[in-house]
Amino acid sequence: MANVLRHLPELEGMELGYIQGILKNMDDDQANLFAQVYRARRKDNQMVLILCLLGFFGFAGLHRFILGQIGLGILYILTLGLCFIGTIVDLVNYKSLAYEYNIKVAHETLSMMSNNSNFYPNVNTNPNDKA
Amino acid sequence: MAFFSYFEFQMKRIGNFIRTFPLELVFWIGALIGILLIDPYGAQHFTLCPLENLGFHWCPGCGLGRAMSLLTKGDFQASWSMHPLAMFAFGAIGFRIFELIRHLKTTNYYG
Repeated sequence: MANVLRHLPELEGMELGYIQGILKNMDDDQANLFAQVYRARRKDNQMVLILCLLGFFGFAGLHRFILGQIGLGILYILTLGLCFIGTIVDLVNYKSLAYEYNIKVAHETLSMMSNNSNFYPNVNTNPNDKA
Repeated sequence: MAFFSYFEFQMKRIGNFIRTFPLELVFWIGALIGILLIDPYGAQHFTLCPLENLGFHWCPGCGLGRAMSLLTKGDFQASWSMHPLAMFAFGAIGFRIFELIRHLKTTNYYG
């Protein structure tokens, strides 16, 4: 039972709750490893917001590239963020964009840790079963 | 006191609804429905575009909506000459809607 506030104090809101749900199946060593990898790979939602704001100066869609959505990134950059409408929607929506990406990263990290399962034999990779 | 706790409960419900509301999914699906509803052959068209309403009369995205609409009507040549990215836009938006629905179905909310 690891506490998310000890390992990843910078998280907030829904992401905090989600990561706590993952960490509660781990002991402190596993949680430490998870926190290191996850912190290196997650995207801060303020970066998404700032890149989104750049859309008003002609460089729309950089946040979509950063979040791995290449197709929408190309569409945004070639149409000035769908004539600013897409940029404005993402400005409202930036937190859930970052949240979605970070949840994906968390699951990747978990499955990586379970591949090294001879070091960490009892990592539970399925957050759905609340043992 | 009972009144206030009921009020608090309702506020929490509204807050949860706003936090988990799939705004982006609604936006993309609404955009596709809007595309289906516009008439691409009309001479003068109603526009939501903030740039157009500010007085700029050209931007790189101009005509994309009409091009997508022409594509749904099967008029490929007119669609290409209006804006060549229409097919690509359908692909990207469709894929994004698929991803969003998958995310909605596989994510469960703790806390």
